[in-house]
Order: sequence, then C-alpha cells, then structure tokens
Amino acid sequence: MSYRALVSTLTAAAFIALWELLPRAGAVDPRFTSQPSRVIAAGWEIIRTGNFRHDVAVSLAEFAIGFSLAIAIGVPLGLLLGRFTPLRYLLDPPIMAIYATPHLALLPIIVVWLGIGMQSKIAVAFAGAVIPILVNTMAGVRGVERSWILAARSFCARGWDVFLKVILPGSLAGVILGIRLGLSRAVLGVVVGEMYQSQAGLGNEVMRYGSEFRTDYLLFDVLLISGFALAATSAVRVLGEKLWTFGK
Amino acid sequence: MKSAQVVLGVLSFVVILLTWEAAVRWGWVNPFFVSQPSAIAASLNRAARSGELSHNIAVSFREFAIGYGLSVVVGILAGALAGRIRTVEYAFDPFLWFLYSAPLIAFYPIFVLWFGLGVPTVIALTFLLSVPQIAANTLNGIHNVNPGLIRAARSFGATERDLLWKVVLPASLPTVIAGLRLGVGRALMGVVVGELFGATAGLGYSISYYGALLKTTDMIASLVVVIVLGVLCTQGLSALEARFDAWRTSE
Amino acid sequence: MDAEGTTTDSALAGRKLSATALSRPVVEPAAHLRLENLTIAYDKPKGAGKLIAVSEANLEIPRGTFVTIVGPSGCGKSSLLLSIAGLVKPASGVVKVDGKPVTGPGRDRAVVFQDFALMPWRTVIDNVRFGLELQRQRTLSADDITARARRFVELVGLKGFEHYHPHQLSGGMRQRVGIARALAVDPDILLLDEPFGSLDAQTRDEMGSELIAIWEQNRKTALFVTHSIDEAIFLADRIVVMDANPGRITEIVSVDLPRPRTVETMDSKEFIEYRRHIRESLK
Repeated sequence: MSYRALVSTLTAAAFIALWELLPRAGAVDPRFTSQPSRVIAAGWEIIRTGNFRHDVAVSLAEFAIGFSLAIAIGVPLGLLLGRFTPLRYLLDPPIMAIYATPHLALLPIIVVWLGIGMQSKIAVAFAGAVIPILVNTMAGVRGVERSWILAARSFCARGWDVFLKVILPGSLAGVILGIRLGLSRAVLGVVVGEMYQSQAGLGNEVMRYGSEFRTDYLLFDVLLISGFALAATSAVRVLGEKLWTFGK
Repeated sequence: MKSAQVVLGVLSFVVILLTWEAAVRWGWVNPFFVSQPSAIAASLNRAARSGELSHNIAVSFREFAIGYGLSVVVGILAGALAGRIRTVEYAFDPFLWFLYSAPLIAFYPIFVLWFGLGVPTVIALTFLLSVPQIAANTLNGIHNVNPGLIRAARSFGATERDLLWKVVLPASLPTVIAGLRLGVGRALMGVVVGELFGATAGLGYSISYYGALLKTTDMIASLVVVIVLGVLCTQGLSALEARFDAWRTSE
Repeated sequence: MDAEGTTTDSALAGRKLSATALSRPVVEPAAHLRLENLTIAYDKPKGAGKLIAVSEANLEIPRGTFVTIVGPSGCGKSSLLLSIAGLVKPASGVVKVDGKPVTGPGRDRAVVFQDFALMPWRTVIDNVRFGLELQRQRTLSADDITARARRFVELVGLKGFEHYHPHQLSGGMRQRVGIARALAVDPDILLLDEPFGSLDAQTRDEMGSELIAIWEQNRKTALFVTHSIDEAIFLADRIVVMDANPGRITEIVSVDLPRPRTVETMDSKEFIEYRRHIRESLK
C-alpha cells in the first residue's frame, strides 16, 4: 500500500471511529450527529420498506429523463455553436448569464410552471445539466487544432468527413467533461427539487426525516445519494478514457 | 473582444426582451406564467423605492460575505498547508474529494438541526459549498508550480518562508484566483438555496415568497437581480484573474 | 529553365556556380509542377489591408525531382507549399500539376506538417490509416487499409509501435508517423512543410538521411521547406532560395552532388561551396 493510500485510509478510518465513539462516550449528542452503526441500522430498515423503492424509482426516473434530455440537446447545440462563430457570439452572453446564475434559484418559477410533480424535477435536472454540457462541448470544439483540420483537408476530407473524423473525436474530452459536471448538477437538481416541493423521491424523504428529527434515516439517504453521484461521475470518467480511441 | 461580438451579444439580449414583451402583449403567452419585461422593470422600480430591494440585497450580501469570506480564509490556508506538506494532503484527500463531488445541499436538514432555521444555516451552507473549490484550486496551484523555479530560488539560498512568499504564492496565484471565481458561483448557490428553504429575508427568500403567492412578476424580478449579481461577481473575478494571469499567457 | 527575378548579384553568382558545377547540356522534361505568377496574400487583422506573403512566384519542377525551399522566416515558403497543397487559395496566378490547375487538395499530393498534425486520440497505425480512410474507403476494404498502413509504419521504422499514441512518442517518431501517413496514400507529389523544424539537431540529420533513403526507392517529386541551409543542400536536386518582404523567389540553384548521399557528403568540398553560396544568397 502506498504512503498516500495509507494516510488517506487511516484518516478516513479515524473519522469514522470518532464519529462512532464520541457519542458512545457521551461527548456529543447522537440525536444530532448520529453514528455509523445507527446509520447502517436505519439503512437496513429503510431498504425493506416499499416506500423507499418507490422513492428511488421516482428520483432515478427524474434524473434519467432530465439528464438524457440535457445530453441530447446540449451536445449537438454545443457542437453547432462551437463551429459557427456568429451564432456563438449571439448566444454566448445569455448562456454565460445563465451559467453564472445559481440554477437552483429557478426552482420556484419552475414549480409555478410545471407543478410539484415529476415534470418540475426533470426540468430542474435538465436546466442544471444542459449548461455545463453545452459550454464544455463548445470549448471542446474550439480546442480542436487548426492543423488537425488542415491535415484532414489535405487528404481531401470535406465537411462531413472533417466533422466525423476530426471535430467530433477532437472535442470528445470537452463533451465528457461537460457530461461529468452536468451529471452532478442533475443529481443535485433532482434532490433539491424534491426537497423544495414534491410528493415523492429521495429528496422528499430527506426533508421528511429532517423535520421528524430522524438523523440516522436522513444521513442514510444523503450518503446513498452522494454514493450514487460519486459512482456515476467515476463511471463517466472511465467511459471517457475508454472512448478516447473513438473516431477510427 | 471583437466589435461583432459586442454587437451580436447586445443584440441577443435586445431580441430576447423584445420578443418576450411582444409575445405577452399580442397574447401569444399567458403573462401569469412568464410575466413581461415592462412589468418586471416596474416591479423592480417599486421594490427599489420601498427599500425592499436594498434590504433583501443587504441580507443576502451579509450571509454571502460571512460564508464566502470564511471559506476564502479556510480554503486557502488548508490548500496551502496540503500543498506544502504531503502528509496533510493525503489526510485531507478523502474529505476534500467527498465535499467536492457530493450533493452537499442534501445535508441542509442536518444544518437546520444543528444551527436552527435561518441565517446561520444559510451561512454554513454557503461556506461548505464554496470551501472545497477554493482549497482544491489552491492545492493544485501550488502543486503545479514549476519545480525549476523552486530549485532556482533554493540555489540563491531561499528559506522555506522565502519560497512560499516569493515563489510558490505568486506562481500559484492565477489558479487560486480561478478557485475564488468558481467558489463565488457555489457560494451564491448556497445563499440562494439556503434562503429558498428557510429564511425571513434575502433574495432567495423573496423568490420563494413570491413564488408561493404565485406573483410571477415579483418572483422573476428577484430572479433577475440574482442573475445580474451572479454575472457581476463572476465577471469581476474573471477580470482579476486576467490581470494576475497576464504573465502566464505571455510566457 | 531558371526562375525569374534572378537579377541580384548573388543570383548571378549562382548561375556561375551552376555553370561550373553543372556543365552539361540541360534538356528539361515537361514540368510536373508549375507555378505561374503565384501571389498569396492574407488579410491583416482589423481590416488593415493585405499582407503579401508570396509575390509573383514562377517555378517549374520536373517529375522525380527533390526540391528544397529555403529562406528566412516570413518569406512565405510555407504559404507557397500550402497553396501547392490546395490548402491556401492564391490571390492571383496558378499552380499547375501535369498542366492542370490546382483548385483544392487532391489525391495526387500529400502533405507532411511541421507540427506533425497527428490526431492525438489515434494510435500510430490508426494515424497512418487516416489519409487512406479519407481517400480510399470506397475502393479498399478496412483490412486492406490496415495492411497498407502497417507496411508504411514498418517502412518508417516504427514496427512494434503500432499501438502507441502520439503523446507516448518522441518528436522524431511522431514525424515518422506523419511521413508514413503521407506516403501511404501514394501521392505523386510529396509536400513537406519544415517537417524536421521542431526536432533536435541530431534527430534532424538522422531523419534527413532516412527520408532521402526512402525517397531513393521510387523518386517521387518532392518539395521540402526548411530554414536549414545544410538540410536544403543535403536533400535537394534543386534549391529554391526565397527572401522576405515581400516573399519572393530570388534564386534557383541546382545541386549536383552524387546520390546516394551520406553524412560524408556534408564534408565534401562541393557541399561546403554550396553552403557558402546559399548563405551569401540569403544575405
């Protein structure tokens, strides 16, 4: 084990041990901090309820639809804006304004427009994810070097060939980065959207457990969501590395 | 910036506003849902005159200043410490990684339990959202200092302290400032979302408040203020970044 | 045949030299490549008019000749080469290949770029396949393309590196990929734009020797842009000397050194004489 891994593991383990032991020793109130053992016990109970499965399904569906829509619209639009300078000059300022805005501030208006059902969460997930996907795809296209295009043209490549063999694979790193950033914002959008106003979903559970002062249950859900976000983000990273040779 | 870029950029906003106004006036869309620019301007004017606007901005700004200020201090210190001492970096690693990529806003109900509903929770959320970004950038900036520069300084007999002040900090400054800029975005998110959920004043609160009353115009007016402030903050720090980054691009 | 504009003193000296070194009757075969009054101009930024990169260039190159173009930076030598490639449109004048005007890139010409211009996401073999895919995917099967690419990877001495990515290779190895990519499409004319410009001196000499050895095998028409006088002489049958402001051809020197050439060639009296002459001509 490398020194790095050793130190990281030890500090993480020390944190978990303190979290478990301090409440036992009576140093802190476990109602506020909970404990690893209590979180696990709560998780065991939560998983067996039918309600939990329904909430997970709702949240996952909202995430999947919103995020897929963001990719389906963000990537093509980003490629287009990256290639056509006048169009980019026209749309860049409003896009940057939205990028600088905390996108969750849109929650209340989206609820007015779409209600408190699944549609509003899909919209928030979409709104959160589409901008980083769009912006990074655009940056990816602009990172395509002129000499690559020149080389392709020297071999008689025209519009479509240049796009397929140079621009698309050349901007892939930017696209993947955008998708990764978009993914965590989509997860955040779904959860916070559900926390704000909803009838189902994990965010809804989190808010309910919070108001009922059930820290153990609350933490289980929150850690579950974090675990999902971390795993999905890592998966996109691995996928990006695998796709590196795309465009043969 | 090219003149075509400025013209088209301005044109874009003008077209958006005109289309929006016209669409409502000619009855294509229901103003209940989207309001209209002229009504929003009137609402902003009213809020500005009554003092409501400046009060909300002041409340939000105070939360932002405390939360973000704390995270600048803590983030830069923690990042610098981790950047110079390897063991500290490895110890911070799992926590920084978790804080950086987990949806932290989901911890909001826990903060409410710890700090109570309102200002302290908003500040905690603001701090927690922005601090990992600033720490991570400081760490990266210090790591990416050209080792040749450090060797050169050592050859002139620089002490560890000289190294920090004369080489490491100036060389990593652009990356640190980029972290501050990205941190602003996350801090704003913390303020607005914190207020959305539970507050008695502030811009996020007023968005949520008017939303609950279905007063679309006033809600969008507050949203516009948030957008303008977000753009101003980000642009300001981008300009700062460009100034400190000048030597790097001309290198 | 000689270039227009050979009115400077050095140009006259060049004539004298070619007259002594090349005292043989010259029977020119029909030109393979021909530039007629070629002028290349770029727009200056902010509409500040035009920058003349190359002015009124005339040149005839017989089939099978290795021509080097040498000159100071900013003399338009790269622009000249890229316009022959069909990648830069001339402001006036024409480039003719076998008597036909060039209107764009074509299968009869292939370019080796100064900055290699390899696709970083493709492996060595896939980079060599690149040109073939673009030009031959309708006539060759994927297997044939791969087989052909493999042959050219071996030709440039990269056997065993087929599945490396460009970033894992040294500069010299990367440019071997660039050369293999250009040769693989079997062009009539090989255009090389300062291909060894970013390599260290030793690698540069090695690459020059290898390039000329490969060229000896089938003697295609080749144009090679460089700012190294030694490289220009070592490789060339004919050297085109250019000058800047505006970029123009000032002299054309025939190089009558025996082939195959080796490192020792560079120590010969004739070589040193050519070197002195070109240096004078560039002043």
